[in-house]
Amino acid sequence: MQQRKSVTQEYTNSVLLNGTLETPKWWPYLVSILSFFVLVGIGLFFVQIYYGLGVTGLSRPVYWGLYITTFVFWVGISHAGIMISAILRLTQAEWRRPVTRAAEILTIFSLLTALVFPLIHAGRTWRIIYWLLPFDFARGIWPNIRSPLFMDPIAIGTYLTGSTLFLFVALIPDLAVLRDRTTGLRKGFYTILAMGWRGNPRQWKMQVVGGILLSALMLPIFVSVHSIVSWDFAVTIGVEGWHSTIFAPYFVIGAVHSGVSAVVTMMALMRWGWGWNDFIRPEHFDALARLLTVVATAWLGFTFLELLFSLYGLDAPEIALREMQIFQYPWNMLFLLFLLTGFIIPVPMWLFKRVRTNIALMFWSSIMVNIGMWLERFLIIVPGLSRKTPFVFTWESYTPSWFEWYILFWSFCWVTLLMLLFSKVFPLVPLFEQKESEVFSDSVKIGRANVPTIFREEEE
Amino acid sequence: MSKSILGLFLDPNSAADAMDGLKESGFEQGSFDVLTGTPYPEGAFGEHVPQHRLFRFPAFGAIIGFSASLFLTSATQLAYPLITGGKPILSIFAMLIIMYEMTMLSAVIFSVIGIIFESRLPNIHPSAYDPRITEGYIGVVISVEDKDLNKAKAVFEKTGSEEVKVV
Amino acid sequence: MINQKKHFWPPSDPAVVRTELINNTKKGGSTLRTIVVSLVLLSLLIMVGIIGKVIIDGNDQTQWGYVAAILAFILSATGGAPMVAIAPLIAKASWARPISRIAHIIGSVSIVNIIIMIPILRMLPPLIVDGTRRRSIWFEAPNYSPHFWDTLGLIMLAITGMALLYSSSIPDFAVMRDSSDGIRKKIGKILSRGFIGTTVQWSKLRMRIGILSTLYFFVLVFVHFIISVDLSMSMVPGWKDAIYPMYHTMSGIQGGVASVIILSWIVRKYGKNQNYITINQFWALGRIMFATSLMWIYFFYSAFIVFWYGRSESDAAWLDLLIRGPMMYVFIIAMLCSFIIPWWWLIWNRVRNSFNGPFIGAIIVLIGLLLDRIRLYVPSWSVNPKLIHDKWLTEIPKILYPDIWDVMIFIGSISLVFLIIIGLSRILPLIGVWEIHQLNLLSKPGKFMKAHGIRVAKPD
Repeated sequence: MQQRKSVTQEYTNSVLLNGTLETPKWWPYLVSILSFFVLVGIGLFFVQIYYGLGVTGLSRPVYWGLYITTFVFWVGISHAGIMISAILRLTQAEWRRPVTRAAEILTIFSLLTALVFPLIHAGRTWRIIYWLLPFDFARGIWPNIRSPLFMDPIAIGTYLTGSTLFLFVALIPDLAVLRDRTTGLRKGFYTILAMGWRGNPRQWKMQVVGGILLSALMLPIFVSVHSIVSWDFAVTIGVEGWHSTIFAPYFVIGAVHSGVSAVVTMMALMRWGWGWNDFIRPEHFDALARLLTVVATAWLGFTFLELLFSLYGLDAPEIALREMQIFQYPWNMLFLLFLLTGFIIPVPMWLFKRVRTNIALMFWSSIMVNIGMWLERFLIIVPGLSRKTPFVFTWESYTPSWFEWYILFWSFCWVTLLMLLFSKVFPLVPLFEQKESEVFSDSVKIGRANVPTIFREEEE
Repeated sequence: MSKSILGLFLDPNSAADAMDGLKESGFEQGSFDVLTGTPYPEGAFGEHVPQHRLFRFPAFGAIIGFSASLFLTSATQLAYPLITGGKPILSIFAMLIIMYEMTMLSAVIFSVIGIIFESRLPNIHPSAYDPRITEGYIGVVISVEDKDLNKAKAVFEKTGSEEVKVV
Repeated sequence: MINQKKHFWPPSDPAVVRTELINNTKKGGSTLRTIVVSLVLLSLLIMVGIIGKVIIDGNDQTQWGYVAAILAFILSATGGAPMVAIAPLIAKASWARPISRIAHIIGSVSIVNIIIMIPILRMLPPLIVDGTRRRSIWFEAPNYSPHFWDTLGLIMLAITGMALLYSSSIPDFAVMRDSSDGIRKKIGKILSRGFIGTTVQWSKLRMRIGILSTLYFFVLVFVHFIISVDLSMSMVPGWKDAIYPMYHTMSGIQGGVASVIILSWIVRKYGKNQNYITINQFWALGRIMFATSLMWIYFFYSAFIVFWYGRSESDAAWLDLLIRGPMMYVFIIAMLCSFIIPWWWLIWNRVRNSFNGPFIGAIIVLIGLLLDRIRLYVPSWSVNPKLIHDKWLTEIPKILYPDIWDVMIFIGSISLVFLIIIGLSRILPLIGVWEIHQLNLLSKPGKFMKAHGIRVAKPD
């Protein structure tokens, strides 16, 4: 099962830096196309500011629609990074190595994208400053810390800052590699960023110990972020279906499900795009798919609990809401699609090793999961709002306008574009992690079998 | 005048031998160091195992973050007392969430400062170095007085270094 | 730094391992005999307690909260233990090998739960009370569904636990058959069922352990789910808490880890097994218990914050009953012992990297677990049964102290647990012989150039 082949550090450098020091043929075309779509999206945002939120499908009582769904979706995707790099680092899973950097970058860019959505959604974006910062000294008005809508940016800001610093720390040794391999202006850039890294034992020790320390610190942040996002919904009693105690862990496990799937999608693209076949191997997809099977099953359990306990109270409005969500057109179609793509199709597929090691199948099944997870958020947010509750005088359904659909499309282009630009400047696969694995692993003969081994240092 | 010498090795074991050789020739433990392109198990070259105080940084950061957030959350509420949702002005359970986030944020920031500081970065006085170190070569670097130059060079040559650089 | 004094490793000679571990089952003498006799006598207290309680309080449901709490405590403290063996098995980590037998043995004492369940069956109200259905997870199911399924669940847990213990001991029975005499040889011959260690037998055995482990996990979650809901949540009108079953399971796993730590500590210290159970196990177990303590507060807070924000009548009643009500002080101590103290204690590397540190933490965790079960179950049972159809709780019950029968049942059941464990340890080595062989095969202390460490093999 181990397809690892022994490679020299020189080879590792030359292959993994091929996106940074050289330019793949498709890169300029793809970047231009994506930039076009991104610019159109930014233009549309200004159109929306000019005409107001009327260009969207939002209206009473559905005041949270596709924008907020997509916000939750991208926060969910952002849970990929720390899940992969922190948990797998702490559990010393060897197969994490090629995945960590890409997962962390995905975290950062999807968080940046997620942050944009409440801004778009707010309509008059600039006024958000009063909501977020203790800013208005003149009138003595301060943010309301009791509102989860205030905790949200604090949590996401913490997560974003933390992940960025985490990424930077782990990038330093690779920056030194780039510094040694570039000339001119680029060399200057990397020299400054690498801060004079030399690779002595003290520096490496700090990389290892610091990586573990930061993982341990990031993990509780990672759990808190989506929990707080879920409390945007759960702490209110005004909307049926939202006031549930399970929301925090349910959102987190769903986020891990979608985030790890997004990592699978990205790894497949990286393998195809840059040809890193020696580093991103079927065994990594296999391991990720096994992890996903466990995560998806746990997630299904939480989904079941959420549904069960919404009916448990035997409140007529809540039961009516669930009936609408599950049995009434068009929601029933969405619900069916959500269950099929979120669990029923992909997970049984992953039970077979042949699927787990087939990169194309893994790619498509991971995309499927994310369609399902987006629908999950949509089905939580919109049906609850569109029903009449004691506090609204009207009820109406909601159809997103083409405007909103484009902004959703824009977000995918935007994240991909950022990733591609990043790949031109920094390596997407951590070089030193690869080399470390090369140094620490070996194989022993047990009887006639060659079993791969890994050297573990004694802990302090 | 002190000089910095770098011996480049292809085989990690010869680098370890060179480290031993330098020790035997009477150089101080702290004056020489090994440079690698990848982490090796601690003490693999018989090098001086670095001590660090990294764990103090996050603790310090957490204390700062906790106190700052306690101040911010309570002071802003007291400065403009507005009751929302029937909750007390100082709602400890809501404050806890923000205090938690800011404590963790500050701990992370201080850990990163700690990692950089304990790595002795930024390092603006570069001694001898070779780009091949990030390509798999092992560098053994030592800073010596002029009089000891040849003694150190001899150690490198005896242990089979590919190249010796003097800066 | 590496403390060489602490560094022990099992003997590499299989014959030595075999004799040492098999001989452990014969050791004992008069001290052990005294302990066993007193445990037998103490175990009888269960019967005395139950009979006494039935005679005195047989018609008053509100007096039975402590018995339900004891059931939940024993379930939580023992049921989660096999997870300590199961999780590393899935992660292919070999550190847990020396203690997985201990974990399996603790998991196989579920018979105690079934004994305590008998009187509870009599006291648990049926689904249809006064002609109307009460709120429960059973909706339209037959009247005595909770009674039936809860008992069946406990029986299933006991059977699966026993089966898991038996399957993972077959190679050791074979060892007993081959290298001991008298009654042990006979037992070994019968129970090893012709196991001679062919490749087919090993692969079948591995598969069987894998399947039973997975099954055990699902049964464990199921049992926690129905016991927690039927024996506490559905007794209280208006208590709707979707995360509660998961909270119950999670703290059950925390308790299981604590039990494994305590038993490992005893086995290491008084069974003279210093070479087999080493600091590696305690270090890893301490970390797991630390993680589960963090999970405890996370699951608790996820529920708490939703009730605290909600402020509806049922939300407020939840706070009044379970947090600031009759059991406020019990709750505070439970919180201290389940989260705050273990967290602040186990966060220190020096504490986790010792034998006594995790041991003390485990005792504190178990105290916290007991108090937590008391604060959950006793108020739930002492709610006035006439109010069961209300929308939410309007009348908070008074504080209830345990009577002499409750204490007897508690002491009796704890003694019975220990009695079963000691009894099993007379037949089976408490440290699996084949597990140690496996550990020696897959990892051994080694050197990397001049650095000390462990070489771990990672077979597929």
